[in-house]
Amino acid sequence: MAVPISQMWTVATYVLKQKLKGRKQYPLVLMLEPLFRCNLSCAGCGKIQYPSHVLKMQLTPEECFRAVDECGTPTVAIPGGEPLLHPQIGEIVEGLVARKKYIYLCTNALLLKQKIHLFKPSKYLTFSVHMDGQREHHDFSVCLEGGYDKAIEGIKEALEHGFRVTTNTTLFDGADPKSVRAFFDKMMELGVEGMMLSPGYSYEKAPDQSHFLGRARTRRLFRAILSNRRLNWRFNMSPLFLEFLMGKRDYPCTPWGMPTFNVFGWQKPCYLLQDGYADTFAELLATTEWERYGTESGNPKCANCMVHSGYEASAVNDTFGSLLGLWHTTRAMLFNNYQDPSALELLNEPVRPVHAFNPLVQIDAHSTEETPV
Amino acid sequence: MPSGRHPALSDPNLLEVVPGSAHEKLEGWVPELATPEELSAALEQAFDYRGDVLITRKDGTKIEGYVFDRRAGKTLADSFVRLMPKDGGQKMAISYAEIAALAFTGRDMAAGNNWEAWVRHYWEKKAAGESNISLQQEKIE
Repeated sequence: MAVPISQMWTVATYVLKQKLKGRKQYPLVLMLEPLFRCNLSCAGCGKIQYPSHVLKMQLTPEECFRAVDECGTPTVAIPGGEPLLHPQIGEIVEGLVARKKYIYLCTNALLLKQKIHLFKPSKYLTFSVHMDGQREHHDFSVCLEGGYDKAIEGIKEALEHGFRVTTNTTLFDGADPKSVRAFFDKMMELGVEGMMLSPGYSYEKAPDQSHFLGRARTRRLFRAILSNRRLNWRFNMSPLFLEFLMGKRDYPCTPWGMPTFNVFGWQKPCYLLQDGYADTFAELLATTEWERYGTESGNPKCANCMVHSGYEASAVNDTFGSLLGLWHTTRAMLFNNYQDPSALELLNEPVRPVHAFNPLVQIDAHSTEETPV
Repeated sequence: MPSGRHPALSDPNLLEVVPGSAHEKLEGWVPELATPEELSAALEQAFDYRGDVLITRKDGTKIEGYVFDRRAGKTLADSFVRLMPKDGGQKMAISYAEIAALAFTGRDMAAGNNWEAWVRHYWEKKAAGESNISLQQEKIE
């Protein structure tokens, strides 16, 4: 099981409390961005396109704690930018651990070995290392040759020190499902606790992009990757969200499920879109016109989104929304092989990204053995 | 200037590919602000812009910074643009009614960067036999 029982219990009791209180809009995970500065320069990133004076800004530990207390979620993800560049990241994490928050510190791990001494192993702290696939694929994705090896070094260091470590992987058009499956094998062999996955999405302020994966293609890709699973693969995510990615179920978006706080304030409406900022979490909930967002709203900015920040909260809500939801989740955890011969055939189809020619996307058909499990 | 976004889609679940977005070239632009509509439209573009803008108030004072929010009210007096000043000061709000001029003075921080450019850069370097290929982040001034 990828998520420890104590963490599952904390999240479950939190969600049930919200439901008993009759709250219709409650957050599940706070996305706390203490800075936008990064030591990578990924071509598609929409978080680092700011003038220098904004990139120099960072939240103080007190501002972080205030946001966490205000929002009240049991889980806090710390993305960025690269949070390990924050000079007080140790103090921020320590303060959140003291508040018994489950923290996912999202890092590219380039500095993890160097900064590991700032942290103490705890069941509350997980390093969520950004890994976009096998060596060539990851390096290409983060626009840095050697990035994969550095990240692996960081993962090993963290595991040796007794930290919880997961990976987080974003898949874009052109991803080779066979290569992604081989990458999962490698991460499990390395000993990470679990893996997280998400399809790519266009950030509002990202560099211009000719196109993105549409929902039909996203579902086919995830069906190819996540069907016929190996028994040892562990995912640190809602199993119903994974079924959503595979096209086995549909959800409306829950844009308030993973609210974002950064140097500008509380971001409207979600982690990906920037439609202004509120000064308090209460103001965010009260003043955002939520009906304007989500794929079902018809908002073209939301048309291709299947990202965890909007839909994993919907999946968790489904789990705790009814006995049927609970049963579906239990079934998805117990019977998670998803045998599907036609999905196996998808693995052997040539990868044809619509965007620029990229000859490294498909690995050698003979480099992994894909047979029915 | 068109935003380049695709129109509302009837069934997104059937889409194979979704068109991306293209930002307008606004760097250096000084919009006409003759009417309230022009002012509101220009400030909306300032909000979408990935660089600093210079706002001149009707009292002649100038403030340069990054626009991160705008709040439309019923009148220009109760509509505000919020920005992070370039000189490092605190967040500030300026009423639309106070604004005399706007200029897109800062560099568009993402202009010229895109995935296709990186793919081209990578394979050109690779073909030239280079190793340790990367995109370097700019130095923060």
